[in-house]
Amino acid sequence: MRFFTTTLALAALLPATLTAQARYSFGAGATGGTKLATDRIFQDIDITQRIAPTFTLGASLPVSARERAGIEVSLGFGKTRIKEEGFSAYDGVSYKTLGFTVGADGPMLKKLRYRFGAGLTKYLADKEGIFRQGGPLLLTLTLGSDYPVITSGKVGLVARLRYNYQRFSTDELRSIGFSRTQDVHQLGLGLAVEYTR
Amino acid sequence: MIRPASLALAATLGLVAAVACSDIVSPTRTGLSYDWRLLLNYDSAGIPLQDTLSFHWPRSSLPVKVWVEDQNGLPDHIRTAIATWKAAFLYGEWDAKVVSDSAIADVIVRAIQPPPQSSSLRYALAEACIGATDVDTVANRHQLRVPVHAYVYVSIPGDPRLEECLNTVATHELGHTMGLLQHSRDSTDIMYAVPTADALTASDVATVVNAYHFKATMVPVRP
Repeated sequence: MRFFTTTLALAALLPATLTAQARYSFGAGATGGTKLATDRIFQDIDITQRIAPTFTLGASLPVSARERAGIEVSLGFGKTRIKEEGFSAYDGVSYKTLGFTVGADGPMLKKLRYRFGAGLTKYLADKEGIFRQGGPLLLTLTLGSDYPVITSGKVGLVARLRYNYQRFSTDELRSIGFSRTQDVHQLGLGLAVEYTR
Repeated sequence: MIRPASLALAATLGLVAAVACSDIVSPTRTGLSYDWRLLLNYDSAGIPLQDTLSFHWPRSSLPVKVWVEDQNGLPDHIRTAIATWKAAFLYGEWDAKVVSDSAIADVIVRAIQPPPQSSSLRYALAEACIGATDVDTVANRHQLRVPVHAYVYVSIPGDPRLEECLNTVATHELGHTMGLLQHSRDSTDIMYAVPTADALTASDVATVVNAYHFKATMVPVRP
């Protein structure tokens, strides 16, 4: 509790005291994930995700001697891939994902840093197929780690690993009778340039 | 002492572990569709037999290329029909586009009556217009000759319901070219032999979706 209170208090005081220690990052990578849904029409149909190029922007501030709190915005360019027994796989609807997470990071092991957070991800897609009634806005939990590859003064290059968890469904799927949600696990790998003021 | 951040991290991990056990459940799709397959009588050494044939465009053929004769606003009616049928699918199982070169077309839609020598026609008899589609299964029955020829023509010129009729019949005939090779017995369906519907019914949707997930026994061939 004290951690979150401290985070909020420090965030309020941000401009005055901590901007000098702010860290900004820009990252690029690729994100893969488990299936978005499964249907059954004579045989199983899996709606999977193709590897999506993903870009991130982040900013964080120290909240203690070791931990930082920050936000991360991500933009992914995804596409569904339909796999069905007895049929050749093919590409389905394309979509973008716009994610916004609030989280914290800190040292984990030697130079390795952890990050965890929670936020929202909006699926942006043409109104067709499973997104006919629009893309969903999903709660996203994220875990990850950053490993500094090169550090030179205030600038550094870090290797990034991110795991995201969502529960997926869409209004269109629900409207035709799909129930419950699909656990979606995503894993992203990438590089990010960090600048610490 | 456990740091608050570690505690929060553990809580996040615990939450993920706790909720990560859910799969989406697809709806049951039974009882809605009608049979779309082609029942074909043939002779085998003097013995009359019946074959049940199914067809859908392979995914590798998509989008299906449709050439439309520019008469009676037919291209617009076919574009509307394409959008109507495309919206029936969740996973992009079928798509089509209007092309200007009939030489590359998979489907040719004419605004005239079908030639009298056509022997494998499916008709749609609406009030102000008529449609027909020639489903030519070639001699061995397991091939569908491409381009598939469809006809949508005016039977009562100037009828106030003509535009509506052309929309309905264009959608109906396009349904045949997609692989719906039988008529529905329900008069509210677009694939009823005398169609009056202005939209796909749940049965039409269920049937075309079934057709595109059922193993096809015919493949398209271009002579």
